[in-house]
Amino acid sequence: MTTTFPFEAGAKDEELRTVGTDAVRIDGLDKISGAAEFVDDIDFGPGLLHAAIVESPHAYARILSIDTAAAEQAKGVVRVVTGKDFPYKFGMYMEDRYIFAQDHVRFVGEQVAGVIARTHREAVQAVKLVKVVYEVLDPILDPKRAFEADAGLIHPDLGDYTHVPWFFPKAGTNIAHWRKIRKGDTEKALAEADYVLEDTYTVPRYAHCAIEPHVTVSKLDHADRLTVWTASQSPHTQRHLFAEALAPLGFTHKDVRVITPYIGGGFGGKAGVSMEILGAAMATLVKGRPVKLRWTREQEFYNTYQRQGVVAELKVGVMNDGTITAVEHKLFWDAGAYVEYGANVVNAAGLSATGPYRVPNITNDSLCMYTNLPPGGPYRGFGYSEFHFGLESHMDRIAEAIGMDPVDFRRKNAIVEGDELSYGGHMNPSGLIEAINKVADAIEWGVEEDSDNPNTVMGKGVALFWKAPAMPPNASSASFLKFNEDGSLNITVSGMELGQGYLTVMAQIASEVLTVPVEKIRVETPDTDRNPYEWQTVASHVTWSSGLAVEKAAIEARGKIFDVIHQVYGYEDDSLYLESERVKCKTDPSFEKPLSDFVIDGIQTGDGTWRGGPIIASGKFMPEFTNALSDPETGQGGHPNVHYTVGATGVVIEIDKDTGRIWVRKAALAVDAGKAINPDLVKGQIVGGLVQGLATVLYEDMRFDEGGKMLNPNFTDYKIPTAFDIPDEVVPIIVEVPQPDGPFGARGVGEHTMIAAAPVIANAVYNALGIRIKSMPVTQEKIAMTYLEKSRS
Amino acid sequence: MIAKEFEYRRPATLGEATHLLADHPGSVRVLAGGTDLVAWLRDDAVDPDLVVDIKDIPDLADIRLDGQTLHIGSLVTFTNLMESDLVAEHAPLLAEMSETVASPGIRNRATLVGNICSAVPSCDAGPVLLAYNTTVHLTGPNGSRNIDINDWFTGVRETARREDEVVTHLTIEVPKHGGVYVKLMRYAGEDLAQAAVGIVVYPNLDYRVAFGAVAPTPIRSAAIEEALRGNGLNDDLINLVVAMVPDEISPITDMRATAEYRTHITGVMLRRGLVAAVGRLAGTGPEYGTRLI
Amino acid sequence: MELEIKVNGEQWALNVAPADVLLDVLREQVGTKSPKIGCERGDCGSCTVLMDGRTVRSCLVLAVEAEGHQIVTVEGISYQGLSELQDLFLRINAFQCGFCAPGIVLSATELLEHNPNPTRHDVQEALAGNLCRCTGYEPIIEAVLGAGQPKVGLDRPATGPAEGDRP
Repeated sequence: MTTTFPFEAGAKDEELRTVGTDAVRIDGLDKISGAAEFVDDIDFGPGLLHAAIVESPHAYARILSIDTAAAEQAKGVVRVVTGKDFPYKFGMYMEDRYIFAQDHVRFVGEQVAGVIARTHREAVQAVKLVKVVYEVLDPILDPKRAFEADAGLIHPDLGDYTHVPWFFPKAGTNIAHWRKIRKGDTEKALAEADYVLEDTYTVPRYAHCAIEPHVTVSKLDHADRLTVWTASQSPHTQRHLFAEALAPLGFTHKDVRVITPYIGGGFGGKAGVSMEILGAAMATLVKGRPVKLRWTREQEFYNTYQRQGVVAELKVGVMNDGTITAVEHKLFWDAGAYVEYGANVVNAAGLSATGPYRVPNITNDSLCMYTNLPPGGPYRGFGYSEFHFGLESHMDRIAEAIGMDPVDFRRKNAIVEGDELSYGGHMNPSGLIEAINKVADAIEWGVEEDSDNPNTVMGKGVALFWKAPAMPPNASSASFLKFNEDGSLNITVSGMELGQGYLTVMAQIASEVLTVPVEKIRVETPDTDRNPYEWQTVASHVTWSSGLAVEKAAIEARGKIFDVIHQVYGYEDDSLYLESERVKCKTDPSFEKPLSDFVIDGIQTGDGTWRGGPIIASGKFMPEFTNALSDPETGQGGHPNVHYTVGATGVVIEIDKDTGRIWVRKAALAVDAGKAINPDLVKGQIVGGLVQGLATVLYEDMRFDEGGKMLNPNFTDYKIPTAFDIPDEVVPIIVEVPQPDGPFGARGVGEHTMIAAAPVIANAVYNALGIRIKSMPVTQEKIAMTYLEKSRS
Repeated sequence: MIAKEFEYRRPATLGEATHLLADHPGSVRVLAGGTDLVAWLRDDAVDPDLVVDIKDIPDLADIRLDGQTLHIGSLVTFTNLMESDLVAEHAPLLAEMSETVASPGIRNRATLVGNICSAVPSCDAGPVLLAYNTTVHLTGPNGSRNIDINDWFTGVRETARREDEVVTHLTIEVPKHGGVYVKLMRYAGEDLAQAAVGIVVYPNLDYRVAFGAVAPTPIRSAAIEEALRGNGLNDDLINLVVAMVPDEISPITDMRATAEYRTHITGVMLRRGLVAAVGRLAGTGPEYGTRLI
Repeated sequence: MELEIKVNGEQWALNVAPADVLLDVLREQVGTKSPKIGCERGDCGSCTVLMDGRTVRSCLVLAVEAEGHQIVTVEGISYQGLSELQDLFLRINAFQCGFCAPGIVLSATELLEHNPNPTRHDVQEALAGNLCRCTGYEPIIEAVLGAGQPKVGLDRPATGPAEGDRP
C-alpha cells in the first residue's frame, strides 16, 4: 500500500537547469567579507540602553522578597523590573512560563529581575545590588524521581495550563505530557518472541553551542509600536508569542514587528521564544529607547533551551529469523522546569520511537517529566538523536544474540514505502535499503581491519536513522516574489538562513522555474512587517515547505508573464516556455522576448498603449493532509507526521586501548534527500551534522551539581569539536528517492545527519573492544576504565 | 565585558614597576600576555585596584644562550618558543610543550613565565620546567633573587613570588638531553591538561620526572627519579616505576576526569614518555611534537 | 584613558576605560563589527584580530594594551577585493552561518603568511582555536589547503588522514 498525497507540485521529469547543481551560496560574499550583519552588529545610536538579568541561584525556591532600591539608585540605571511588572504567561505549545519569575523559581539561572542601564557595565554592576530573599525548596533533578508518586510537585497548577490538543498532561503529577502508542499486542508478541532483549540507556543534556549567543534589541517607539531585532529561527512565531503575552499591555499583532538578520547558528536553540521576551517586555517600560540584551556564553548554556536528557527503557522481541515482532520503549524525559516547547520533543519521539523499522506490535510511552533543571527544548534531532542511541545500540546487540550480521538484520527489518507506522499511517517512499548498502560499501563492512600500532585496535559500526518534521499539522510557509527592471528577482520569505543554505536553495528553486540565474536573485532575511508568513525554521522542513511556497510563487509569476505575452502577441499560454531569461514559443521558433524588456514596464502594443506591468507573485504551502487528533490512550488515528527522512551511518574507528581515545578514521553517511536541490549544501549538512553528533557521543555533556547548578557553562569544560576533532575522512552519500509532494522531490536533511552518530560510535567501540557503553557520552575515560576492568577480570 | 573597574599602568622600567607593586599591597596584578588575567577579570575571579603592564619594560623578551644556559625572558610567548631556533636546537621539549598550550591566538600572547605565575595545577609549563630544574629570577624593590623551580609552586594558583616582585627571566641548563611532554586532554583540540608528564633524561642516565594536574601543584617525583637513576630502560624497570605512580600523585575527581582515570593515564603517559625521552636522547625517538597518547 | 591605535590602516584617537577590552572598543568605538562576541574568555576565537600581523583574542586584550599597535580585521583584508583565500572560501561554500568566518579568515591568513604550503595538520593547528559549530571544518580546511595551489575549485579532492595525529 502506498500513501497518496493530495498535493503534488513541480515538474519533476523535465530536465533541470539549476536544481541539483552546486550553486555558490548567495550569502557567501556577505559572510566571507565581514559584511554580514548580525543583530549585535546593528548600530542603534547613543540612545541604546543595556539590560542585564538577576538570576536565581537556586534550583527550586519560593521568592520571599525582592529589594531593588539600591540598584535603582546605582549609577546609570534607568529602570529595574521584576515579575510584578509582567504577570503574564507565555509558551509555545503549553503556557507554563512567566516572563519573569513570579512567586517561585524552578531552575538555577531563572530570571527574577532585570536592570536597564545606560551602559552594559552599569547594568551588570547594578544586578549585584538587587537583593532577593528566597525560601529554598528541595529540587527534583532526576526524571525517574519526578515520576515517583511521592515526588513533590514542580507545577501544582498543571491542570489549569493552556496547551495544544495533542498534549496530555496529568494534573497532580510532574507529568507534563504522556505520549502513548499502543499498536498490536506487544505483551503477546514479547511472550512469543524467540529472543527478547531488555535494557536501559541514559542520555544526558546537551547544549547547541551556536557560536553567536542569543541577543535581542527591542524598542517601543513613541507611537506604541514594538520592534524587536532578534537572533531567532522563528520571527513570526516570536511576533505571535510577544503579541499574545503582552496583549494585556494593549499590543496586537500589527503593533509588534520582529526583524531577524543573519544569525550565527541555531540548531534549534534559537527556535521559539526564550530570552527574547525579556528584552521585549523590558523595552515597554522605557518608551523611545532601544534596549539590548545579550546572553553571555554562560547564560547561553544555562538559560536557553537545552537538549533534554532521557532515561530509555527498551524491550525488543525478535524471531530467530531476525524479524522484529515487538518494541516496548519507555522514555523518561528530563524536560526541565518549563516544557512549553520541550513537551513537543517528547511527543515527536513518542510517535517514532521504533526507529526506521517495520514493527507490528508497539508500546511507546514518552513521558515529559518536569524537573528543576533548565527548560528543555528543541535541538537538531528533536528527540530522535536521544532515543536512537539506545535503540540502535540495542539492534546491534540483538543481531549478535541471534547470530545475525547487524547490517543484514537492519536490512531485513528496515521500513519501506507503505509499511504501517506506529500511529497507523503509512511510510512514504524512501531509500533506506540503498542508504544501508552504500554505507556498508563505503566502510567495507565485513572486512576486518588491523592496526599496525600495538596500542590500538580498529572497529566498525553501523546505525540507521529516521526523523519526521515535528510540526503543528497546519504549519505553513509563504513567499512573495517580484521582478526588477533588469529581470533580476527579489524574493521574500520568512524562513531563516541558519547557515544551512536556505536562501540559496530558495533562489535555486525560483531560478529553475523562471530561468533567472541564481546570481540575479536576492532572497531576503525576515522582517515580519514585510516578509510573508513562515511558522519557524525548525524540523528540517523549510526546503520542503518554504521551497513549495517559492516554487508556487515562481509558477504564478511565470503564468503572469505568459499572460502578458498572450495579451500582446496572441500566443497561447501553453505554447510558451522560458529559456535563458527569455519567453519563447513552441509554435513560433522565431519568437523570443527577454524578461528584462517587460517585467516592470510591460509591453507596448501597436496602438502605443502598454500591457502588463510589474510581475509580482506569491505562493503558500500548508500540508492539508495532516491532523494531530488521535486517541490519547493508543495514539492511533490522526496523521501527525508529513513524511520521514531516512538514512544510515557507518564508521571505522581506531581506539587506543590504554587511554580510550578514539580516532574516527572514516565516516560514511547516506541520507535520502529526495532530491538534493544543491548537493554541495547537502554535503555541508552531512559533514557538519555528523561532526556535531560525534561530539555528543565522544566528549560533550552538561554537568550539574547536586543543587542543579551547571558546572561547565563554558567552552573550557563543555568541549565542542575543533578543527582537530573531526574524522580523517567523511564520505557523504546522497540518496534520491523523490518525495512525491516535495519541491522537485526534495525533503529535509538538516537534523538527520547527527541522529545516528552516537549509536554508531557505541557499536564500533563494541566491535573493537567488546565493551558496551550504555550511557552517553562514550568518553575516552569510560572506554579506558571499562576496558581496564574487563582486562582485569 | 569586564564589569569591574581598575587602574592601569604601563611602567617603562623595572624599578618603576616594582614600586607600583609595592605601593598597592593586596590589590595589584601583573599583566604580561593577559590571557589568564583578562579572562579572570572578566570572570570576576580577581579583584585588583591596579593592573601593572610590564610589556614596556626593556629586555624582558629575550631568548638567548649563555654557554649551556638558556635564558628566557618573562615576556617570551609560547609562539616565540615554538619559532625560536635556539629552542629548537637546545630545548625542543619547550616547543613540544608550547604546542599543547591552547591555540595560536592565545600562544601569540600568553607567556611561559605567565603560565607558571598563574600556577593553575594543570599549567603546561610546570612539569617541563620542573624537569629542567629551572631557576626563576625575580626583581623586587630591594633587589633581585633566584628561586629554584622546585620551591616555586606553593599551592593552587600560589607561588613563592612576593607581590612586589616581577619575574624577569628563567634560566635552564641545556646540556645534551632527551625530553618529553605528554598531556591528557579530552580531545585532540585545545584543552587543559587532565594529567601531564614531563620527563628529561641526560646521557648519564639521570632522569627527571614531573607531573601536572595530578596534585594541587605540578610536582616532581623523587622516588621515581631515584628508581630510574643510572639504569637503562627495560620492561621491568618501566613496570616498576609505573607501579609507583599511585603513591606519587594525589589527583582529584572533578568534572574533567576521575582520580582513577588520571592515575591510570599518568602511568600510561609515564610508560610511553620514558621510552620516547630515552629514544630522543639516543636520536631514535619520535620527533618532538608527536603526540604519544 | 587616551588611546591611539591604527585599525585597518586608519589612525584612531580614542578615550577608553582600563577595563575596556579591545573587542568592545573595536565594535563600539571604531565601528568595526567583524570581530564577534562569542565567549569573551578566549575559548571560541570569533573575536580574532591581527595585532601587528599575529592573531590575538581581542576579548583578552585590554584596549589600552593596543596603544601604538596595528590592528587588522577582516574588513581590512577585504578592502581591495577578496583575497585568494577568501575567494576559495566563497567558491567552496566553506562557511554556513558565517559567524566564525571573520576569525577563521584571519587565522588562516596568519598561517599562510608564515607557511604558504601548509599540511592538513598545519591547517588544523592554525584553526584549532576558532570554533565553528556548523561545518565540521572540512570545507574550511580544504579551502586553506587550496589557497596558493593551482586549480582548486569546486571539484573537491578526497581528504586524507591527519598527519602527525596517530598514537
